[in-house]
Amino acid sequence: MTTTSATESREIGNRIVVAGIAAIVLILAITAILLFMNLPDANAFNARVEQVFIENDLLTGNAEIKLLEILAQSGTAFSDTLSSYRFVIFVLLTFATALLVAAIAFLVMLIALTRRMSQIERKGIEVNSLLISRDQKSVYLNNFEFKLTKAAIETLSVLAEARMDDEVMSGAEIEGVISGRPSSDCDEAAGATRIKRLRDTLGNQMVSELLVKNIARKGYMLAINKDVIRMV
Amino acid sequence: MKHITFSLLILTVWANAAQAACYADYKAKRDGPLRLHYGVAAIDGDCAVDAAADALLDRLSADDWQLLTVLGVFDDAGLEERKESAGDYYLRY
Repeated sequence: MTTTSATESREIGNRIVVAGIAAIVLILAITAILLFMNLPDANAFNARVEQVFIENDLLTGNAEIKLLEILAQSGTAFSDTLSSYRFVIFVLLTFATALLVAAIAFLVMLIALTRRMSQIERKGIEVNSLLISRDQKSVYLNNFEFKLTKAAIETLSVLAEARMDDEVMSGAEIEGVISGRPSSDCDEAAGATRIKRLRDTLGNQMVSELLVKNIARKGYMLAINKDVIRMV
Repeated sequence: MKHITFSLLILTVWANAAQAACYADYKAKRDGPLRLHYGVAAIDGDCAVDAAADALLDRLSADDWQLLTVLGVFDDAGLEERKESAGDYYLRY
């Protein structure tokens, strides 16, 4: 039996990214080497002039030879330009490498982000922020506003405080904190009732916000894309 | 005996004359910056292109010139027509 875990596939992905970047650098390095090898030598012009001088037997006059020398000198001047070209080509190749590496990195980031987005979409509601407003008797989950009763707000506030201290509270403790009596005097069932009421009001509103919408004076509709509905 | 000496003398004189009358015209270069010249040089010994090339190679390299090619060998008759072209390098090396 073969299994593939998420971390395994991420490792494979990382390896592919490293291999891809290495391949880009390698290809551009080879290109650079070939380019620099095939660029004409600085001495190429002189060699050409020399060849012309050797091959033409009649080219013996003083003036003609002087002219050839001047030609060779202008060629040498051009070879300086050639070396500047070499530098420009080198800079451009470096830029190309950097850009391609960046492109690969961004591509990989994009793929990872897409994957993460689809994961979040699958997971349903994930609470990124919880804002409790006691004055307005409302709670903001992400950016959805839910109206709660005073008692439900109290329960939620107590739970939120306990969560911030990484504590777990029993029903009796919750009832104790809210009513201001020692928790030993409180009934476990009273706390459980508070929790049930909070769940009912909040759950009801969340479902109506996220799933079953009430359109005023028209009726009810599922607040989801019709493409995602499947019947088994 | 006298006859033989005379003929030997003749031979020597002829050989000398032949030697003195051998010239070669060549092309040479110097690198960095490229300098070129066409010259005429007197050749001792064998009057052939190969021998002339051997002789000129040493003579020119002593002065940092590099022999490119020997165009040909000729005698006194061809000297005058090449004098102008050779310029400074007429019989210099």
